Amino acid sequence: MTDIDEATLIAWVDGELDEVTRRRVDRAVAEDAALAARLDMHRRLRERLSGHYAPIEAEPVPPSMRALLKEEERVVPLRPRASRWRSWGTGAAIAASLVLGLGIGRLASDPVGPVGVRSGVMVAQGPLASALETQLASAQESAPLRIGLSFQRKGGGWCRSFEGEAASGVACRGEHGWKVEQLVPGSGQSGAYRQASSADSRVMATVEALMASAPADARQEAEARAKGWR
Amino acid sequence: MSFESDLLALLPRLRRFAASLSRDRADGDDLCQAALEKALRARDQWQPGTRLDSWMYRIMRNLWIDEGRSRQRAARTFAPEEAGEHIGHAGDRDVEAHVMLSDVDRAMQSLPDEQREAIALVLVEGLSYKEAAEILAIPMGTLTSRLVRGRGALIELLGEAA
Repeated sequence: MTDIDEATLIAWVDGELDEVTRRRVDRAVAEDAALAARLDMHRRLRERLSGHYAPIEAEPVPPSMRALLKEEERVVPLRPRASRWRSWGTGAAIAASLVLGLGIGRLASDPVGPVGVRSGVMVAQGPLASALETQLASAQESAPLRIGLSFQRKGGGWCRSFEGEAASGVACRGEHGWKVEQLVPGSGQSGAYRQASSADSRVMATVEALMASAPADARQEAEARAKGWR
Repeated sequence: MSFESDLLALLPRLRRFAASLSRDRADGDDLCQAALEKALRARDQWQPGTRLDSWMYRIMRNLWIDEGRSRQRAARTFAPEEAGEHIGHAGDRDVEAHVMLSDVDRAMQSLPDEQREAIALVLVEGLSYKEAAEILAIPMGTLTSRLVRGRGALIELLGEAA
């Protein structure tokens, strides 16, 4: 029996214990399997929660939020993508409305739609295929199709989520191109941001179901692209 | 670094925090947008040299608490209100979107606000107890007891596999 209470176990997981107390807990845990199991349970809970919300931090920020801060962006480009954004000139609000308004027409009038069927399987083609193959999530704010997350799926292989005016979804790289795992109406279907975000939650659920561990960071993404997503 | 560029750099974390407080991603982004607008209006109240992230978390959290009553009202009348918002979808979309929420989303939603905000700051945002207690303006002891109760509830809801 030990005198380690729940608050102390939790503080261990949260990294809040001083060295002396931490060692006392470590000793107690080493001698008490039930206590070790509880500590492990709390550790897994923390990992599950932080892992669940982590992909949101890796997503590109919505244009509506960037637009609020646009003045500054024009003066001090923070990252390479800020300068691309700046080329819209009059700012993010107008750029966003262009994407939402005109973008539908642009995609619809493309001779090749974003998705085709090959051997009974939905595959990305045309602009979507090239965005998936070449576009980096870290540099694309003005692109009509935006890549959300790049990640490795359970069992291996690269997948990427995408967001466009006509369609959003998730595609995974196969032997002969990008197989579309999920396709939902894109942000342009209603022109409302709210609906764009609702599509996000469906896509995010798919990402979460497919993803092996964590989304790729900018460096891993660039490396994967260099290797042709194999 | 200016105020706006600092805010821009914080945005991914702020969106994550908003999502962990909110019913779904759309509500989270609405909350985040509102917090940004409020911060820009109140920028004179931020003291350079202090933590901008703590200030923003506090603004967002207070907005979320302020909206609590209308949120609860909306939850009680959830179906009719949402159906009215999406005429032509007969509510199916919302049922579907609701079903798509993961176990974690649902479990977080079921927590009382005071436990959810403590869990969000410490487990999701990774803040220290001291930082979280300051943002919530509560003593450390209160924070830790909310963390214990909130975690107990989450483990129960999410099962042994938590």
